[in-house]
Formats: sequence, C-alpha cells, structure tokens
Amino acid sequence: MDELDQAAPDRAAESEALPPDDEDVEEGVDRRKFLARGTLSIGVVLAAGWTVPAAAYVFGPARKSDTTEEWVSLGAANKVPVGEPTLFKTTVVRATGWVTSEEEIAVYVLTEDGRTYTGLSNVCTHLGCRVRWVDDSDGFFCPCHNAVFNKDGSVATGPPPRALDAFELKVEDGQLFVKLEV
Amino acid sequence: MKSQDKRDYLKRYKEQKKNGIPFWPNALFKDAIVALIVLIALIVLSYFVGAELDERANPSDDGFSPKPEWYFLFLFQLLKYFPGSLEFVGVLVLPSLAIAALFLLPWLDRSEKRHITKRPYVLVFSVFMIVGVVWLSLQSVLEEPAPTQLATGDPVASLYVENCAGCHSEMISVPEGTDLIAIISQGGHAGMPAWNADLSADEIDALAGFVLSPRGNQVFGSSCADCHDASGLAASDPFTLRDALDDGGDFEAHADLELELPSGQEATALVNFLIAPDGHRLFALNCSSCHGSAVPFDGTAEELREVIRTGGGHQDMPAMGGILDETQVSALASYSVDPATAPSEAAGLFGQYCSICHGDLVPQAADLAAATEVIVTGGAHEDMPVWGEILTEEQLDALAAYAFESIEGSPAEEGRSLYAANCSFCHGDFGEGGVNPANPAITLSPISTAGYLGTRDDTTLRAIINQGQPDFGMSPFGLTYGGPLGEDEVGSIVAFLRSWQADPPVELPPEVEQAPRLGDADEVFTEFCSQCHGVEGEGGIGPSFQANEFHDSRTDEELFTSIDLGHAATAMIAWGQVLTNDQIVDLVAFIRDLRGEPDETPPVVGEVSFSGDVAPVLEALCLACHNDGGAIGGWSASSYESVIGSGDSGPAIDMADLAGSTLIDRLLGTSGALMPPQGMPQSDVDKLIAWIEAGALDN
Amino acid sequence: MSIDDRTDEVLDETLDAEWMDQRTGWRGVWNGIFLRMIPKVNWSFTLGSATLFVVVNQFITGILLTIYYVPSPQDAYDTVLYITNELPAGWLIRGMHHWGATAMVALAILHMLRVIYYGAYKFPREVTWISGVMLLLITFGFGFTGYLLPWDQKAYWATTVGTKILEVTPVVGESLLRIARGGDQLSAVTLSRFFGIHVWVLPAVLLSILGIHLYLVIRIGISAPAKREE
Repeated sequence: MDELDQAAPDRAAESEALPPDDEDVEEGVDRRKFLARGTLSIGVVLAAGWTVPAAAYVFGPARKSDTTEEWVSLGAANKVPVGEPTLFKTTVVRATGWVTSEEEIAVYVLTEDGRTYTGLSNVCTHLGCRVRWVDDSDGFFCPCHNAVFNKDGSVATGPPPRALDAFELKVEDGQLFVKLEV
Repeated sequence: MKSQDKRDYLKRYKEQKKNGIPFWPNALFKDAIVALIVLIALIVLSYFVGAELDERANPSDDGFSPKPEWYFLFLFQLLKYFPGSLEFVGVLVLPSLAIAALFLLPWLDRSEKRHITKRPYVLVFSVFMIVGVVWLSLQSVLEEPAPTQLATGDPVASLYVENCAGCHSEMISVPEGTDLIAIISQGGHAGMPAWNADLSADEIDALAGFVLSPRGNQVFGSSCADCHDASGLAASDPFTLRDALDDGGDFEAHADLELELPSGQEATALVNFLIAPDGHRLFALNCSSCHGSAVPFDGTAEELREVIRTGGGHQDMPAMGGILDETQVSALASYSVDPATAPSEAAGLFGQYCSICHGDLVPQAADLAAATEVIVTGGAHEDMPVWGEILTEEQLDALAAYAFESIEGSPAEEGRSLYAANCSFCHGDFGEGGVNPANPAITLSPISTAGYLGTRDDTTLRAIINQGQPDFGMSPFGLTYGGPLGEDEVGSIVAFLRSWQADPPVELPPEVEQAPRLGDADEVFTEFCSQCHGVEGEGGIGPSFQANEFHDSRTDEELFTSIDLGHAATAMIAWGQVLTNDQIVDLVAFIRDLRGEPDETPPVVGEVSFSGDVAPVLEALCLACHNDGGAIGGWSASSYESVIGSGDSGPAIDMADLAGSTLIDRLLGTSGALMPPQGMPQSDVDKLIAWIEAGALDN
Repeated sequence: MSIDDRTDEVLDETLDAEWMDQRTGWRGVWNGIFLRMIPKVNWSFTLGSATLFVVVNQFITGILLTIYYVPSPQDAYDTVLYITNELPAGWLIRGMHHWGATAMVALAILHMLRVIYYGAYKFPREVTWISGVMLLLITFGFGFTGYLLPWDQKAYWATTVGTKILEVTPVVGESLLRIARGGDQLSAVTLSRFFGIHVWVLPAVLLSILGIHLYLVIRIGISAPAKREE
C-alpha cells in the first residue's frame, strides 16, 4: 500500500509552498493583512456575541437585590390594647429564582396612646429564639437563656447584645402596616 | 479505484494545493463571515421568533396531538404509510437501510470519477432521497390543515376538525356495521365524551356520515352544498332522497334548476353520507313505523337481509275474526285505539297474535269500529317496500345487522343478564345496594336511583365498571384492566343501568325520600351525613368536618356544590336531588360550626395513657438526650419512674403541684429552656400536659 | 523522538525558537493547522466550519442553560420559564440554543450534501466521511433528547410518540421502550436520563468523533471542487 503513504500530506513541502512573509508584491501583503485583521475583528465580534449575554445571564441574579421594602398589612389597629404589646403574624411570599416560599413574620405591636404604634421583632438578638411577652413581669422573656427585654425592646437582663429589632409601622384607615423587606 | 487512479488523484491534489490559497487568513476569513451571518441569524431568530414554550406537560391530557421537530417530520409521516404489522418496516428497516447506505457510500460508489455528471447513480439517488424527504415533510405539515382553513368551506369537515380531530387526527376508520351515531352521542370508550351534550342530533348524523363516507361529503360539497345545509339534509327521508337522485331534473323541487346530479358510485357515496349506514338510525327511520323497536324474525342474518332487500313479499294480515272471539277482538281494538285504557288482557293477546308481525309497535287506529273491522277482516295491508332499491349496499348491511341483533335482544337486555351474573351479588338484583360483601363496614348505596344515574354520564359509568373502585372493594371488570368484560359487554351493562333511570326499580330509601320534610340542618346531618362523616362530624368514610384543613381548603360555595352535586365515583350522592337549596345552605353553616377548636377542647382527662400515648412521644423526641446513659439535666425519659422522679432541679413532675411541674414548664417554655429544642407538635404537648394534669399515672 | 535523538541541526533550530515555542512547540502546530495551503474552493466549502461554529454555540449556550435548568418534572418547566422571562438575556441564550439546534441539523445536512455533490467521500477521505455520518446521527440524537427537556406539552407528547416507535421492533421492542423511558411511562426517570444523555453522553461522543473528523480534515486536506473531466 505504498501509494497510500502518499496520502499523508507533506507538511514540510506545504510550509515551503507558503508565500514567504516578505513577499515583495505589495498588494498581496495588503490583502493578507486586511484578511487577517478582518478575520480577527469578526472573531472579536463573535466572542462578544456570546460573552456579553453570557455575563448578563450569569451575573443577572446577583445584580439586583432580591429584597425590596414593602408595606404589609397586619390587621386592625384597634386590636392592640393600650400599653400591652400584642403579637401580630403575617406571611410574606418570597420568590427566589423559580421557587416561591412563604415565611411567617411575627411583630409585637405596642401603643401607649392609641395613636402612635411601635413594632418590635419577636426574635431574640442573642441566638434567635422567639421571645414572649409576659404581662406579669412586664417584659419580653426569652426561654432559651432567660433573657428579659423591656417593653421598649431594650435589654433588661441576660446575654443579648442589643435591643430587639424595631419595625417601622404606620396606620392607614385603621389598618396597621409594617414595613418589611420582601 | 485502481492504484494508478489514487496516485493520479494525489498528484493532482498536490498541484491544486500549490495553486491554492493559504488557510490563514484567506479561507478563514470566509469562514468567519459565514459564522458571523449564522450568529446574527440566531440572534435575530431568538429575538423575533423566540424559542417556543407550550403549556406545562400534562400527562393526563391525551388529547394533545404531538408534532416532532421539523427534521423528524419525514420519519413521522413515513410511519403513516406502514400500518399495523408492517410498522417496523417504516420505523426500523427503511431508516436502517438509509443509514447503512450513507455509511457505505464510498464503497457503493467505487468509480474513480468525482464530478457529479460522471456519477449518475449517486445523483439520481440523492435527488430522489432529497425530494422524498422534502415531500414527506411537506405532506406532514399539509395533512393537518388549520381548523380555520377547513371551517370556511366545509361545515361538516369543520365540525369534525373542531370536535373529533384532536383525538382521531385526520380520519377515523371504523369497521363495517359500526353503530356510529350511538358511539358519537353516548361516547364509545374511555376518554371519549358523550357528544349529545354538545352537538345536535343533526350534527351527529352529519358527522357519522362524514366519517363513514368522506367521498359523499365531497360529492355533497360540489353538487348540493350551494342550496342545502348538510346537517339539515342528513337523516332526511330516504324515499325522497332516492327520488331526487333518480328523477334528476324531473324531481319536483329541482324542476326549475339545471342540475347535474351525481349518479352511480357518487350517488351511493352521497346517500351514505347523508344517511349514514348506521343500523340503529336506519331502523328507526325506515322500519320502526311498522315494526316498533324490534322485529321478530326466525332465520339467519343473510335471510333477513334478503327479506329487507327484496321487500314486497309481505304477508297480508289474516282475518282474525275466525280465531278470536268477540271480547278478544274488542279488547284488541281498544288496545289499538289507546293501550292505556284497554282491558288488561289485551296486552297478552297482542303479544300472542299480533306481535309476530307488528313487533312491539301497536298499530294506531282512529276509532274502535275501524280497528275492529281491520282485526276481524284483516286485509288491505301496505306492502313492505323494496328496500334494495332505496338503500345502498352499506346501508342494507348495517340495517340487517342491526335488525338481526335486535331480535337477539337489545344491548339493555344483554346487559340485564350480564348485570345478574356480575353485579347483583354486591349491588342487589335491582341495584338497591346493601352491606358490601367485600367490606362489611361499608354499606353500598343504591345505584339504581334517578339521582345516582342522573349525575353520572356513560363515560363515568363505563370507567367505574372497567376500572373498579379499589377503595370500596370493587374489582376492575374491564378486559383491559384485567376483568372479564369486553367493551361491548360493559356498554350493555351501562345501557341496562340507564333503563333504570327512567323507571327506577327502587326508590331512594324512605329516610332519604322524606328528606325535604326534614327541617333543621342538625336533623338532616344526623339522618344523612353522619352515616359517612360521623355523628359529630368526626369523619369515617367521608372526611372529618372537625379538621381545620377541611374547612380551610374550601369556600362555602365549594361546600355547597359538593353537597348539591355530590362526587362522581364516591358514595357521596348528589344531595341536590333530595334537599332544597335552603337546606343545603343551612347544612353548610351547620358543618362550619362543627369545626373543631383543638385549643379549647383538651383531651378528656384520663384518656391519655403513659404506655400508649406518652411513652412513644418521649421516646421519639426526648430519649436521645435524656436517657439512662447520659441524662442531660439529670432527667431520663427511659422509664415511668425516671420520667416522674429524676431531674437536677427536683423531680420532673411534682405530684403535689401537677400543673407546676418542671416538665410542663419546659414543654411550654414558661421557665428554663423550651424543650425539646427541635420542637414538639402542639398535639403531643397537649397530650403530655393532659397526662400530667390527670395525675401522671402509670397507666 | 526524544530531545537527545534530534540532529544538531534540529536542535539549533529549536534553540533559535522563541521562549514559548522552545517549551511547547506551538509554532509547528500553528503552521500545520493554519498556515497550510488549501485548494481554491467556493463558498459551499464554508458549510463545515459553519456547522462547527454552531456546535461551539451549542456548547456555550448549553452550558449556560444548565446553570439554571433543573431536570425534574416539578422544576424543569419553571426553570425554563425563569430562564426565558426573568433572567437578563435568558431569552437570548435559550433562543440561540433552540435555533442553534435547528441550524446545526440544517448545516450538517447541507454540508453532507455538498460532500456528496463533489464526491469528496472518495479516496482518501473515506474515514472522514464515516466519522461525518456518525456526527450527523449524534446531531439527531441531540435533537431528540433535547426536545423533551423543557417538559412542555409538545415535548412530552412528541417524546411519548417518539419513544413509542421503538416498541414496534420485533421481539425486543418492549424492552427497548422501557430502556428508553426508564420504565413504562414517560416520567421523571425519562427526563433525568434524557438530560444526562443530552449534556454528558452525547457531547462526550461528539467531541471525540469531531476530534477525529477535524484531525483528518487537516491531515488530508479539504477536497477540491472536481473538474468536469475528473
């Protein structure tokens, strides 16, 4: 099968057959340069055609913050007795990617005069246990490490590093709204 | 290819390369331009056309007609030409041959010639393949024209496209003698709806004609459609139709028109289209005016067909005067004037002497005198028409088959014996129900009431019989589900059940019948609902009305509908048949009141036992940390004694002050850490506290 | 041949080369691939490279799609919706993959027709031809498995019918159907295995055979348009 060996192209011969770079025909050089530059620039365009959408696509979810602030209705304001923190619960639907989940949010609402309302989180700032209002001891009690918060949320006793988180509240048409990050 | 040829080629190729161009950048530049065009095309297509996305996949919606990607269309189309056992040729053999041919192409075409004009076989074969694939693909696209396209020209075809094509694609072929109108109107098999709810009788006739004789539809479209409406003309009188076709321009209504009426095969197709060769329909149209719903006949199906075809040879009615006495004659005469007021023996006489010819159709007489005369003297009797001149062969076949079948008994009669053999053991001879032999805890409610049958269509009944009701101990009866009955037999049983609907053999149980007289919702509830839902609404066969989920997941309207219409295939009947709307509204309110308030109704004291209720909870949720080996906090949940007595801060349960026990504090989190840290279901907490407060007994 | 076996001349040549070439010999590869001479050809000879370009496009967009796509009956459709409607340029990525599939099939077929037309499957390119036919079949495999992934009605029912076709094979038909679907019905198992085949098995096979195909094209050289007398 001698003849088949010849099927293998002779690389050396090929390379020699190439017009040398210093070809003296000016036109040929210009044309080659033009073609080379054209090819390269098209290559750049093609690469950009992929990478730009790809970057937007990959970094898209990171670009905008998932959470927006939203006023969520809690219920009728007149359900809050003056001077006693009252627990309200509401569910917030969070959409992450293609999955939506419901999260229950609890807010202690307190009013001293029936007009202005303050909202406190029921999550202990120590390790995240749920605090409970205990009327007798006039404070929020955390069962995990016996911490006590005052009515205004400040720490009375125990390990918590800071006061209970406060929520911004407003009343419209007798309805309580809490500002939440959704 | 000889060695010399190979050598020549390589030499020539080397020459061509020498005189060629460098790959970089000359050839690559072209490639880059094409690549750029392709990329732009992709972006443009994405932007202006986009990637299609259908509805979410729904495995239960089998009405969806699938189309593969365009490059598989030709294969898809190819399969249509290989029906039945030949299918594997289209699927396997042809594609395999094509692929093999592609692989072997260099050895199939061994000549040293390369130019296309020197390779005629390859050229012809390639062109043939390309044309074939393109033609098949086009065919596949064109074969299912959009419904709107068809709807404009051909009303019957558009009826078909709108209602049938979704499942049956372009055309259904049915075996000869299929009772198509019955199938269309009642739904023939699982998944096929009963179209008589949506389509008029004329439309169903027209559809049947369309399916049985598509050619006739074309003839109709070209010859008749300008003046006639297909669904109006369908099922018209065959005599008139035959006259119109035979007489051509002489036909009265056509007299002023210059018509070219179809003849020969076209005429036959047209008649088949207009009057579908459907035995049942033909019998009703042509025979029942004399023979009633069935004709007695004592011979073979072929003989019957011959009688119908030749007609004529019809016995005159004999003079009955010599056979019957006067009372009998007058009884029969009054029977033929008005069967309802005739003496009771008249029906028997009719059956004995007349029905052999008259079937179950009582000839209508104007008055007693006329009737008496005909009976006594017999006589002037209209001959049976020569149906062979009027009906097409297909119609004759269908008619004879139907008439012969109806001698043997209608489906309903066949259904009666099938019911007796298969169903009556559980459902009772009259569908009255009773204790379920398969599960004595269940009482089968009657299936023969108008209420039950009225709320289930044939398809549902078929499905119930075919698939059984595993939850209620009913095994599947359909052959396809492993039962003993074929589709026809199931259909017969359904037909038999239907015969109950007009004339229920059993009325609803007395207490149900009295329902409208019952007043308050609590009475209604105790009488009916409690049988399945429990006396306190605690549930049983039906769901619990105390459960919060039950109430949370339903609006009042939904509750009302459930009661009003019932649930097909469960024991919940449509109570709207029995109760007034006001009663149902009251009942809804009553059921709402049954909603349990678990927080306010702690378990009855003493009901909770240590071994049965408390220990399993402790074992599941506490024992991991509080065991004899490593009792955290000095408390162990391993035994009754340790549960009561151990604990670093004193015994977990204070027998002197049960409610103030440390265990309760920990469970509620009122003092010390809330336990268990991973949480405990509220019902279990309630259970433990109830047990402690009941004395923490070792029970 | 190891470095020691080289003739002095070659060694000198190697040492003369620039730093990177001394270590990688890239220039030789570059010359072999890009600086070779090819016969004068017409535009129809760009079909192969266009197909290759679309393959690259399918790899890039396909990889991007798997970043968000989840192959389960619960999530597949939702993730496709999310990619198309929520993500920036998601519609573009999916559109380019979708239309790229069509372009890949179309270009591959045209490429093949061109090869047939010029008799380019003949000596010495028989093996190149066979690898090309394999690549075409793999392309069909991509189309068939990829069609199911969005888990929409069209996909579900077309694949139901498409796999059902296997059943008519004599004797082993039923087993084939069960193997293809991973059970009697089209299910989560089917979706999962179609996904696996589409993104792992077929690309791996495609890359190996494509490698052979390209190697042969470069080694033997592309065919020249046959002259009338050839």
